[in-house]
Amino acid sequence: FKDDFSTSPHLFTPMSPYDLELPIQASSHLSQSKELHTDFSSVDLSFLPDVTQDNKEQNLSEDGHETQKELDGSLASKEDSGVFMEESSLSHPGAAQPSPEAPGVCPPLTPITPATSASESSGIVPQLQNIVSTVNLACKLDLKNIALHARNAEYNPKRFAAVIMRIREPRTTALIFSSGKMVCTGAKSEEQSRLAARKYARVVQKLGFPAKFLDFKIQNMVGSCDVRFPIRLEGLVLTHQQFSSYEPELFPGLVYRMVKPRIVLLIFVSGKVVLTGAKDRSEIYEAFENIYPILRGFKKPS
Amino acid sequence: EVAYSQSTGQKEQLSRCLQRGIRRVQDLCKVLQLPVAFEETAVCYLQRALQLPAFHLASLEKKELLGGCCVLVACRQRRWPLTMGTVCSLLYAQHEAFAGVFLSLQRELGISVPALSLADLVATHLSSFRLVQPSASVPAAFLEDKEKLLARTVAIVELASETWLVTGRHPVPVVTAAAFLAWQSLRPGPRLSCPLARFCRLAGVELPPPAHLRLRELLDILLAMASQLSWLRGFRLDKKSVVKHVGELLQHRLFLLKHAFSQQEQQGTAPGQDSGSHSPAVAQQQGCPSAGQGQRGGTLRPLLPPCLIHPRKRLRAVAPSAPATATTGDEPISDSEIEQYLRSPEEIQAFRKAKAW
Repeated sequence: FKDDFSTSPHLFTPMSPYDLELPIQASSHLSQSKELHTDFSSVDLSFLPDVTQDNKEQNLSEDGHETQKELDGSLASKEDSGVFMEESSLSHPGAAQPSPEAPGVCPPLTPITPATSASESSGIVPQLQNIVSTVNLACKLDLKNIALHARNAEYNPKRFAAVIMRIREPRTTALIFSSGKMVCTGAKSEEQSRLAARKYARVVQKLGFPAKFLDFKIQNMVGSCDVRFPIRLEGLVLTHQQFSSYEPELFPGLVYRMVKPRIVLLIFVSGKVVLTGAKDRSEIYEAFENIYPILRGFKKPS
Repeated sequence: EVAYSQSTGQKEQLSRCLQRGIRRVQDLCKVLQLPVAFEETAVCYLQRALQLPAFHLASLEKKELLGGCCVLVACRQRRWPLTMGTVCSLLYAQHEAFAGVFLSLQRELGISVPALSLADLVATHLSSFRLVQPSASVPAAFLEDKEKLLARTVAIVELASETWLVTGRHPVPVVTAAAFLAWQSLRPGPRLSCPLARFCRLAGVELPPPAHLRLRELLDILLAMASQLSWLRGFRLDKKSVVKHVGELLQHRLFLLKHAFSQQEQQGTAPGQDSGSHSPAVAQQQGCPSAGQGQRGGTLRPLLPPCLIHPRKRLRAVAPSAPATATTGDEPISDSEIEQYLRSPEEIQAFRKAKAW
């Protein structure tokens, strides 16, 4: 694959000396992505006025969201603060971690109308890093029993009132509560999250509980990407102060609370951007397309 | 007869929580010697905050910190350089807890809090330095004129800001490192041998751990700049000797910032854009001798944040689940796969014996 990238220069900018990543590959020469799922069964889109599913697909495929971007693993350039971002949790105090809402309570989604036309798109596609979903197994569970009979379970009732279970494929973690409710974290796509949740449910079934699989819902999606240029956060917080919070005494990144779509972005001086709070991946793509022109305004001209 | 405290109806109208908060705000303003207007603003924010359920129903611990947060907001809005560290130490508060309350306050009240102004911070920070006043513990050669030190520190802080050393970093260590450099450079002779730690001890200020890193980064920038000053090239400066020339480097900083760093910032152009500027970009990135070189030769480093110049993390291999094996979520799940996660009867027995279930 490495050879492919280097022989098609018209699709990307050549590597920069500081950047050890493989450049982003636009999807125009890749086969139509299968991950471009049209299964919106868990999402209520009946209120959408103008944007049809066909329009949406077209916009998304033009953005080329099926990429083979190699992440350098550095989601944040955290210099002195002790905040560390793991794959499944953001420990920034109170700002960027929306707690999963109770299943069954679906907050109204904002209408998905793309702000920028496809021709102006950045060509960069955020990559999904974490999906948090919930499901109702619909039966009371004996957590002690589960912890005893399952190899991949952790249960410390004094610390937390749920069993922590892990499976290898898809590599995820689940929190299983005695009420029968379960949270699944760590998947990289909606389908993987659902597959993982089903596997956990099967484990619970095999342990002798009449587990069902009700109300599976994606509660949060986290994506990240790199705009490839450094950003003057001090400038951004001045011009967009009603949306931004930049407190270098607390956290090295700028927290941008976008209203439409309702997504929280963490923007770092290195140009890396983390997007979270989405219930659907289109919100992440849209949020990034909204922020990209703003960030470009802060790129220092040479 | 009615006692005075009982006769004033004002106090009765305020909840005990609010009264305590106001007292806390008043104490802080007194200790920090803030103008009266600040106290009024802070109390106003406090009253607004306590009316919201987010704070009204918060723990007492959080309410303790709320007063400090309101004072901080009032100071920021009037460009009074008060750091969170200072407020935390005055309140004996945990940094994380304070941060949480501060951010909630900002969010709940929907107020925009201006950023801490570094230039202002330098002025207040330096005024607490003992090296600007004669004292028995400070050798004569270490004593420095406050105005000169202030001017030079501000210039170094501005340089740091322009060269990406400030964005995303905690402000105080930058100021400490800049003050140290400024102080050394104003009289290098006797001061070059004094390390940062000793400087902070003499000055009577804390040495924040990142200050060493900031100092090193500043020296790297200065060395890069020095390489483009013709009369300094012969000297082969190092991190110690470059301090002697800080004054000149600051004097010519506009010119040097343009010429001491390669113009590498344009490669952010999106992959989709096919532009003619593709070839100069290639030349730069390949370290081509014609581009990215200073007047005096030698490859220049790009002017970028340190996190981009020295990326710390290893590259993670791209996930193999590319188009070929796209998940649908409905795949069949084999029994054997699930059974690998279940304990065998022997295991369960052994486990039962080991743990006191």
